[in-house]
Amino acid sequence: MDRHFDEELQKVKKNLLEMASLVEESITKALEALKKKDLKMASEIKEIDHRIDRFEIAIEDQCIELIARHQPVGTDLRFLIGVIKMNNDMERMGDHAVNIAGSVAFLIEQPRIKPVSNIWSMASEVKEMLKDSVKSFMDNDAKKAQQVCARDNVVDEMRDETIRILLTYMIEQPDKIGSAIPLLLVAKNLERIADLTTNICEDVIYIAQARIIKHHAEEQK
Amino acid sequence: MIVETSNLNLYYGSFQALKNIDLSVKENLITGIIGPSGCGKSTLLRVFNRMNDLIRGVKITGGVLIDGEDIHSPVCDLILLRKKVGMVFQRPNAFPLSIFDNIAYGPRIWSITDKKTLRDIVERSLAAVDLFDALKNRLKESALSLSAEKQQRLCIARLLAVEPEILLMDEPCSSLDPIATGKIEELMLQLKRKYTIIIVTHNMQQAARIADEVGFMLLGELVEFNSTKKIFTNPSDKRTFDYISGRFG
Repeated sequence: MDRHFDEELQKVKKNLLEMASLVEESITKALEALKKKDLKMASEIKEIDHRIDRFEIAIEDQCIELIARHQPVGTDLRFLIGVIKMNNDMERMGDHAVNIAGSVAFLIEQPRIKPVSNIWSMASEVKEMLKDSVKSFMDNDAKKAQQVCARDNVVDEMRDETIRILLTYMIEQPDKIGSAIPLLLVAKNLERIADLTTNICEDVIYIAQARIIKHHAEEQK
Repeated sequence: MIVETSNLNLYYGSFQALKNIDLSVKENLITGIIGPSGCGKSTLLRVFNRMNDLIRGVKITGGVLIDGEDIHSPVCDLILLRKKVGMVFQRPNAFPLSIFDNIAYGPRIWSITDKKTLRDIVERSLAAVDLFDALKNRLKESALSLSAEKQQRLCIARLLAVEPEILLMDEPCSSLDPIATGKIEELMLQLKRKYTIIIVTHNMQQAARIADEVGFMLLGELVEFNSTKKIFTNPSDKRTFDYISGRFG
């Protein structure tokens, strides 16, 4: 027999997954607006972000109430603690999508520059990481989560490469600095989103296996 | 280890109440024993001061060592064992005597008659349970006039008067309200600095709050024995998780 508490936990999971799909939509749309230099589309990101913020508050409230009323233990406790952290990380991702959308206004008057292709490869990798991290949470799949964590290094390398190319570009063509700086910021925001997806995967591993892998905690034991 | 059992079995006639219990209790810790009604946790607790000896038809096999000594050995002094291993019960069982005489009862059995020594023991024991200041002018009053929580504290003080090493507590807060429960729990946390405490409780949150190590029992078996953190965040056995999370049954 399912307990009422199990139903409540399922509602929390459903809400977090809905929030995750909004975060994915927000990032995808922000990148699309950037690609098309579409200010109208960029302005829609703020509205999505408000909805993400409302989810964050509702999920946090749900978790606090369940902890206070049910005093969960074991997997249930790890699940709720993990959700509280993921909830916070997803809200931060929404903010990074807003930042990316904000770059559109700066780029609108600027000529298109070559290094932008690196940004799209990075964006595509980050979106895949986010999708897989959400899937690992949905399926409580620690193995998949571990694989996503390993991909963070790839994104870090792509960011370093993008920054190096953009810096060289700015040195060689100072008149394109106006185009390059917003792209530097986009690269930084994408890299932060990748870090946050890694956090989500670390929480998935904690929920599924009670292992803390962040900051190489297991190696330090 | 201050208490150690190996392959401990206990039978009430043909019914086996404890099955192959291997348990090691460390000194100056609070060890919690949890489990559903009838799982054998109170029976296990009563093994440690041989209270089960009082029940007809009880048969015990396996080893029980306290301070390295076999408590079922023919040379074991039962009175000395019960001095060393005191017990607190679900309901406070203050004697219908004065507060002073309740505390002095044990020392008098141990032939302490000097009035000053007895006064010192009463003061020290009541102070250890944080009752002396409140009761120092009421020592001649009946212990039964005290509240349930103070009576339970008095019962603990009565144990301390004979200088035990181990305190066995069988649901010591089950008849107390949450405020009184909180005070007894605080007292246990203070007492563990000097004594080893083994507590049987139905209240899982109480075990989570105060115990350092917890054993989960089911149908006479010790299913899992682990640190409290491990038991309540990542129990090894699914039966433990099912019980502590209320999924049991």
